[in-house]
Amino acid sequence: MSKILIVEDEQHQRELYAMELQEEGYEVDQASNGKEAVDMVKDNKYDLVILDIRMPEMDGIEALGKILSRDKKIPIVIYTAYSNYKSNFMTWTADAYITKSSNLDELKEKISELLTTRNQ
Amino acid sequence: MKRNIQIQLLMYIPDVLLLALAVFAFVGMFNQYQQALFIVMGLLIVLMIVRTIFINNLIRKLYTSRIIDIRTLINAFKKGKYKLRTEQPRGDDALADIHRDLVIVGTHFDNIISSQQGEIEKLRELYDSIVLSLNSYFLVLNEREEIIFANEVFCKKFQISLEYIAGKKIDDIFYFVTGRIKESIQQVKRNGNSVVLEKTHLLSNERISIIADIKISYITVKGENQIVLVMDDITNRCRKDYQISLISQISESIQHDNRLDHVLHTILTGVTSGTGLGFNRAMLFLKDEKRHILSGRMAVGPDTIEEAIKIWNSVASEREENNNVAIEDTAEGKGQELLRNVQTASFDLKEDNLLVWVLNTATSIHIHDASSDSRVDENIKKFIDVNEFVIVPLVAGNRTIGVIVADNKFNQIPIGIDSVDLLSIFAYQAALSIESYNNLEMVQDEMDKIQHRQEAIVESEKLAAVGRIASHIAHEIRNPLVTMGGYARRIIQQTDSEIPKGAQVHKAANVIINEADRLEKILSNVMDFTRSSPFILKFNNINEVIEDTVDLLRNLFQERRVEIDLQLGDDIPLVKSDFNQMKQVMLNLLQNSIDATASHGKIYVETLMRNKKVVIIVRDTGPGFEQDDIEKVFDPFFSTKVTGVGLGLAIVKKIIMDHGGEITATNRENGAEVQISLPLPG
Repeated sequence: MSKILIVEDEQHQRELYAMELQEEGYEVDQASNGKEAVDMVKDNKYDLVILDIRMPEMDGIEALGKILSRDKKIPIVIYTAYSNYKSNFMTWTADAYITKSSNLDELKEKISELLTTRNQ
Repeated sequence: MKRNIQIQLLMYIPDVLLLALAVFAFVGMFNQYQQALFIVMGLLIVLMIVRTIFINNLIRKLYTSRIIDIRTLINAFKKGKYKLRTEQPRGDDALADIHRDLVIVGTHFDNIISSQQGEIEKLRELYDSIVLSLNSYFLVLNEREEIIFANEVFCKKFQISLEYIAGKKIDDIFYFVTGRIKESIQQVKRNGNSVVLEKTHLLSNERISIIADIKISYITVKGENQIVLVMDDITNRCRKDYQISLISQISESIQHDNRLDHVLHTILTGVTSGTGLGFNRAMLFLKDEKRHILSGRMAVGPDTIEEAIKIWNSVASEREENNNVAIEDTAEGKGQELLRNVQTASFDLKEDNLLVWVLNTATSIHIHDASSDSRVDENIKKFIDVNEFVIVPLVAGNRTIGVIVADNKFNQIPIGIDSVDLLSIFAYQAALSIESYNNLEMVQDEMDKIQHRQEAIVESEKLAAVGRIASHIAHEIRNPLVTMGGYARRIIQQTDSEIPKGAQVHKAANVIINEADRLEKILSNVMDFTRSSPFILKFNNINEVIEDTVDLLRNLFQERRVEIDLQLGDDIPLVKSDFNQMKQVMLNLLQNSIDATASHGKIYVETLMRNKKVVIIVRDTGPGFEQDDIEKVFDPFFSTKVTGVGLGLAIVKKIIMDHGGEITATNRENGAEVQISLPLPG
């Protein structure tokens, strides 16, 4: 069973993703900011990280660098309301960049795609 | 002396004896010797007669010849001859003294006169040499105005002999004589006062031209009236004065005149005016970098000799009133044909001809005989139509901007080296003037461009600012929207639609989802507006873009029962553009039109070529733009629609501007019209 870490400061959104992804059959952990996420990655092994960008304490871009420095191979999906970070080269190291939508289909598809490639 | 007196006294003895005898006879003494007394008295009388004859002879012998000598002397004096070779005066009497004195006086006089004559001789020599060395021309006329004398300088200058001009009138030796000279001669004859004519132009039959100050005076020699004309040649002085004032006038006229044609005219008037360089005609050609030609721009000069004379006459009298150099339109209305010929002339810069040669080498050239000069091709020969001419380059800084051609077509004065030099110097000044004028114009153009750009910047800044705000708001909205929509979807997943309550919840949740989706779409539009993604410029067929978009909207047209009428031009060239962005433009425009048009309305889309631009016209049969709003329809967040955020036309405008195009909105008789024009590459 693949283990996914959701990093999102908005509680309702975080919980929504968690419910949806658990229903899809994934094991889900939650972090409410970048700092928490980095700590959790230290202690646990995740198959994929969903990362918001605008967050308090430590933003997604900083967290992205720290997570990748620990585990270079972990797939990371940036999931944010901001489309303009796409042009920030720091985000290019992520495996996917998806603009948030109330319809989670795109996110789900990407996750399954990335995990399939990873498991092969 | 004493001896003389004694002799004279002795001569009177017979007189005294006769007187004594006469007294004796009267008193009666010697009565008895009366006879003897009378005899004695008779002898005495005879003696006295003899003496008188003797004395007379003696006197004649002593004085007459000497008196004649004196008389001769005096007669000679009367004739002005004071030195005579006469015999030395004889005797030592008063007569001799007088004679001697006269001779002495005569000798003195003679000395005085001969010394005076030397002085006079010297003075005459001096006078002659002064007259000869003066550069003034003398001309003496008699009462009938026939020339009776002309000095050497005059003859030399005008290349005529004294024999030739003697007895001629001034009209016969000058090509034309201005009315001023003729009038002045009459005036001098009437009242005897001298008249001075300043800066008068004279042109001889031999085509020798000068500018002179002429003094006309009236003198009487041996009872005969004569008119003397003294002419001071001031041609060179005038030229120098003129050049200085001309240069200042040209720069002044440039400052006050913003028309290049006037500047050029001023320059050429300087080349042709009598006090300027004095050429008959001048033509100016400028290099046209864009069209790669040397094109005729300006010409000054008469078309015929009659016109030339008129100009010369008028220039002289104008100068009389106003000592300033008259470089204004002295040739108004004259030389129209020349001007026309020059202004329609152009020479390709690749052409191998004299004008282009001068332009390329920046060297002036003096053609003495065009008919035999191999450098002058037929074209130029025909165009300039004169045997001798000069071409000088207009050099400003380190580049040649054109050439001036000058000639003496009408008076045919040979062009001197000094004239060519002057023209070159003058051309240099003129070139600087033209260049500074051009620079001025360039600065003006640049300023216009800058202003234009500034306006564009303000416009795009406005859009950018609006964009930044919009983007911020959009992101802030997106987060709660995502949460709302996400949970609404969950509600649907988790409710059983089979039970009646469940169906109601489904419906309600669906409304939320749909509305959230709609909002998300609007937000995407806002992001598109603010995102500065680099567009992919390719050559696209605008007609294809339109057809594609119409296909995309076909369902909507049917649903709204709106008819679409495409009138796409056949020969629309490809436009360098971003296909997707152009599609977005058409999509937004057509959506707007559909929204505005009532059912059974019509939308027309037309494409055509106008002024080398591709024009797209979208027209509908809706209510049109609100009259007050037309200017603002392209502003972001301006919308009269109930739905949408009002970014449709703003996005359209941004895309069109990014493509270097223009967009306008107008109201037609029965609907709104949007026109887009897109530039073609190159």
